[in-house]
Amino acid sequence: MSTSTLSTRHVIARIGAGVLGGYAFVWGFIALGLAGFYAVGLPFHDAEALSNILGFLLFLVVFLWAFAASNLKRVWMILVGGGLLMTGIGALIQQSLL
Amino acid sequence: MVNLLLAAATLLCVLGCAWLALAMDVHWKQVRTDQPSESTAKVLRLLGSLSLFASLVLCLFTDHASMASLVWVMLLAAATLIVAFTFSWRPRLFSVLIFWAKAAS
Amino acid sequence: MFQNFRLSMAWLHTWFGLVLGFVLMAVFFFGALSVFDREIDRWAIPESRFEPQPMPSFDTLLKPVFEGMQPSKESIDFARDKVNGPMPERFDTIVTWGAYTTHRDPVLTIFAGYEVPNAKEPDVTVWGNRTIDPRTGVAFPDDQLKIGSGFFYPLHYSLHFHWANLGYWIVGFASLVMLAALVSGVVMHRKIFRELFTFRPKKSTQRSTLDLHNLTGVVALPFHFFFAFTGLVIFAGIYFPVSHTQMKPLHDQHEVIEAQETGLPHDRAGVPAPIASVDAMVVEAQRRWAERGMGGDVGFLTLRHVGDTNGYVSIYRAGTDRIALTGQGIHFKASTGEVLREDLPPTAVESINEFLTGLHLQHFRHWMLRWLYVLGGLAGCVCIATGFIFFVEKRKRQYAKEGSQNGRIVDALAVTTVTGMLLATLGILIANRLLPASLPFGWPGRGDLEEYFFWGTWVVAMAHAFLRSAPVVQGEINPAWREQCLALAVLAPVTVILNWVTTGDHLLKTLGEGYWPVAGLDLSILVGGVLALIAARHLRRREQGAPVQGATDFAGAGVQHG
Repeated sequence: MSTSTLSTRHVIARIGAGVLGGYAFVWGFIALGLAGFYAVGLPFHDAEALSNILGFLLFLVVFLWAFAASNLKRVWMILVGGGLLMTGIGALIQQSLL
Repeated sequence: MVNLLLAAATLLCVLGCAWLALAMDVHWKQVRTDQPSESTAKVLRLLGSLSLFASLVLCLFTDHASMASLVWVMLLAAATLIVAFTFSWRPRLFSVLIFWAKAAS
Repeated sequence: MFQNFRLSMAWLHTWFGLVLGFVLMAVFFFGALSVFDREIDRWAIPESRFEPQPMPSFDTLLKPVFEGMQPSKESIDFARDKVNGPMPERFDTIVTWGAYTTHRDPVLTIFAGYEVPNAKEPDVTVWGNRTIDPRTGVAFPDDQLKIGSGFFYPLHYSLHFHWANLGYWIVGFASLVMLAALVSGVVMHRKIFRELFTFRPKKSTQRSTLDLHNLTGVVALPFHFFFAFTGLVIFAGIYFPVSHTQMKPLHDQHEVIEAQETGLPHDRAGVPAPIASVDAMVVEAQRRWAERGMGGDVGFLTLRHVGDTNGYVSIYRAGTDRIALTGQGIHFKASTGEVLREDLPPTAVESINEFLTGLHLQHFRHWMLRWLYVLGGLAGCVCIATGFIFFVEKRKRQYAKEGSQNGRIVDALAVTTVTGMLLATLGILIANRLLPASLPFGWPGRGDLEEYFFWGTWVVAMAHAFLRSAPVVQGEINPAWREQCLALAVLAPVTVILNWVTTGDHLLKTLGEGYWPVAGLDLSILVGGVLALIAARHLRRREQGAPVQGATDFAGAGVQHG
């Protein structure tokens, strides 16, 4: 296995992107999914279950992608930025429903 | 009755996996010295698929569909293991499954 | 970071698999044992070795038991800092009573939740639990450990590491890694269909180990994927507590709306009211299920707002013939017995969710599927264990040349998580049969001591594995593999004999009576012992430098332990 080019820092940044970035992204997805599905008329627990189920599958995809993608900086930006964005939209939807 | 149906489903699953494996040159050669003809391989694949399908039907006949799907998927795993280990240690046992088959000329 | 996709997947598979594999071994093995958690309970608590019982009468049997309950000391201590001022002597406001049973439970576990006065948050609840004999209502001692459902089962999802729920998080992360390892494994494995039926025990150890790794990984791929995935879904509320943090306002609003829609009161009214006959409600519920063409037994019975005019009783059908745990809920007004509501048929999403969680939790009646699940779990163990061995085999020449200790450490940890884990499992069963029923004053509870034996045995096995690991540096076998296999081969019959001596239930008797919970476990332990003996003999031949034939199934044989 070609591990010669890997610096410890880079490996840690990769793992961080996959784990923490992935978590942030999926949190955003579940928050958005929960509020969004509920807003379009799904029962609350259906919205919750559906966004959880899809959320874990999404986590698997972004986790793998974090290791396969060539540009690590972009991975971090998309995962954290996307996570924050979706969390924010979810919060806005919630506010409009209360 | 239920046990009988499930036993039949298991047997069909093992047979199906065995025939599908025998359709592959490398496993056929573990059982016989010749080679399967193209048409024999086709027949074996057909037999294998039909057995697996029949096994699924029996599972569906026995249990609620949600349960039957789980039983069948897990049976496939068990059957594949049985077939793989038989090829590892007692491959000749499978000759009975292809006694009728002609080798490639 | 890598030249191509395949290499990055290989890196991920190797290193994450190695690190989290040790956790996954425990998850898969104790998960496999949890398939028969109730039966292991019977073995561990001989007083409970009788036939499964239906839900007993509430009016005559359960009600007096519930009325005599109070929250547990641990639960009160846990809630202490969520309350202003001291805790009361007695808790009188009952939030809920509940009893859950399945077709495999002779004993009945019941729980009661109580409101805490002066709590900082309105929904702080303290809990009490009890296990009773449903024929008499007599409680089983609190310090009896249900080794199956109370130790092995929670071990497989929490590792019994409760500080900050860290055990759950470790297992959750390991599950994600399992999913990633499956996908990356499929990417790495170039001949998934061509080698589907391939295991070549006579090839080199490295080759045959990889064969076994691929075989056990691929054939049970759906099992591995769905169990890792559904495990995450089951605990989604812990891993992503979105609806209890960020979305709590929406969640709370929904609860109030739901209470209005269903007519099931969300809160107490504050007006006391007696409880009508719950037995009559059960009869009515069963009549309605039969009308739907699905007559059945009560699986879950729960009362809310007990003693209040807003109180209601919910009765759920046991999902014995379905994947879903329970269903067909019917709700009654507690004070009058009138039907308040029948649950609507599950929505599509609900059905999917019930299927996913139910297929993992498996409270249905299907013995063949249970054994197939055990097979799937053990296949997972073999897959992970062969992964470790392959890792060491592949690198052993290089490590030997460099004098590196890495292989030695990985191999010793593999011994610890394969044979060491099995020894610990026998250790707790043996302790369970050897400890006296009542211990001297001041000692820890009996169940606690059994747990200490479990961890103690495991630590000793680990120490042994490391102490004997020197030959690995030269690329040879760690003799701890063989020695621990021998220990298993000795301890397995000892365990079974101890069960006989201390309870009188020997195999001829349990088999003759068809009492499978005990007979099945005894037989599985004996089979495991025989396999361990075979593995030990293979290993001896290998250590003496004989041809490698069949030597690689030792990992497989080792984990075949029931």
